Amino acid sequence: MIPSNAFTIAARVMRQLIRDRRTMALIVIVPLVVMTLIGLSFPEGSVLDYIAPALLATLALFFSFLLTGISFLRERSQGTMERLMASPVSRLDIVVGYLFGFFIFALTQTLIIVLFTIYALDVNYSGDLWQIFIFQIVVITVAVNLGIFISTFARNEFQMVQFIPLIIVPQVFLCGVIWPVEQMPDYLQWLSSALPLTYGVDGLRDIMLYGKSLLDVGVELGALAGFAVVISILAAITLRRGASG
Amino acid sequence: MPKNEFTRLAVAVNKASFSYKNIKAVDRLSLEVPRGISFGLLGPNGSGKTTLIRLLVGLLRPKSGNVHILGRTPSRRIAHLIGYMPQLHSLYAELSVLQNVDFFAQIYGLSDKARRRKRVEEAIKLVGLWPRRKDSVLKLSGGMKQRVSLACAIVHKPPLLFLDEPTVGLDPELRVTFWDYFAALTKKGVTLIISSHTMDDAAHCDRLAFMRRGRVIAQGTPNELRQATGQPEATLEDAFLYFVHRKEEEK
Repeated sequence: MIPSNAFTIAARVMRQLIRDRRTMALIVIVPLVVMTLIGLSFPEGSVLDYIAPALLATLALFFSFLLTGISFLRERSQGTMERLMASPVSRLDIVVGYLFGFFIFALTQTLIIVLFTIYALDVNYSGDLWQIFIFQIVVITVAVNLGIFISTFARNEFQMVQFIPLIIVPQVFLCGVIWPVEQMPDYLQWLSSALPLTYGVDGLRDIMLYGKSLLDVGVELGALAGFAVVISILAAITLRRGASG
Repeated sequence: MPKNEFTRLAVAVNKASFSYKNIKAVDRLSLEVPRGISFGLLGPNGSGKTTLIRLLVGLLRPKSGNVHILGRTPSRRIAHLIGYMPQLHSLYAELSVLQNVDFFAQIYGLSDKARRRKRVEEAIKLVGLWPRRKDSVLKLSGGMKQRVSLACAIVHKPPLLFLDEPTVGLDPELRVTFWDYFAALTKKGVTLIISSHTMDDAAHCDRLAFMRRGRVIAQGTPNELRQATGQPEATLEDAFLYFVHRKEEEK
């Protein structure tokens, strides 16, 4: 991997999104609308306090996955991926470049969601705000990599959208967002432990509800970092198939 | 093949085959292209032109046989020696003409800013789009996008250029302009491999390979191919059909 190539790609990804004003506006507005609706639908504050950490992790995963997946798919459908693959850049340069490029936007969305949830929806939390952000950064790293990886299996936007019910929705049901994992049958608990959102929800709940530190949620952070590394390697491996497909 | 023979050739393909599942796209194809000429791959849609170009730029690997460009197997290590203009415009629509060409210049290793700026300017001026350099690609016509795509492929001044259907969708005037660019490039010693399905394009090439069903059915200069029909008035279209019938009869 050549870092300068990855940075060139990251800079291009950022420039591309910044020039697309409507997408930029949607990146800011959509999470605000979604969180406002969620806030209004939970008039009982204590319920929202409990559910907020799981929602923050889920929305970070969902938005970052969608944003990256669609953008990466466009790189292939408009033919620029083919051009990149015939150039001196490596597959890892492309994946890392995309990761850096989208990271800023995914981070912006997460900041908006977290700050809006805490200050506008008035959600009570125990841990440090900076620790919540650091933990969310790890969640979006997984999501960005997952978006890149999954997009290599989609040939068009319709197929990419179909991956949402396949990749995101099961995680919402199986990772303790709605129902505690401990109360699920054994085989579902086993499946839950293989999904990144489980660690995202557990870790963020520990920080926000019980005031734990990043060190206390080291297992969850380690698991998420492991997912990020494995998924980015898988994305780099599947890239050639995608480009020539 | 001796080494000096390899270096004399821009492209050497030896009994290369490639299939997409059960469809044979390139079938035991052999081809040699000397350096510094424009070489046309001519054939109908589905004759294997794009697959052959993808094999040559290293996007695909042959299932059997071998492929060499500039004496070496296509790989990332020699990717800076080639320029590739795919069939699609393959540009970042939101970015400006300048940003697109500059991005590919960086990707191809032009890291020195002053040198890169000069090359980017040269490439955009060559395709006649300098006055539109700040416009986003989204606002350009199809022909202009083709020109930006060409600028992206030539900005790093590669000695070998692969152009997949570069004149598709261009009006006759622009087509002539493109062929002027190509002639200027070959004069500078660049080797051009150009795929096309129109006989108009074929007439401009120094040498041609007629392709059908993943194979080369004939090759030579446009004149040699026309003369092979035995009819003094024969067009390249007549020549193509002549070789198609001859192949059928041989079977």
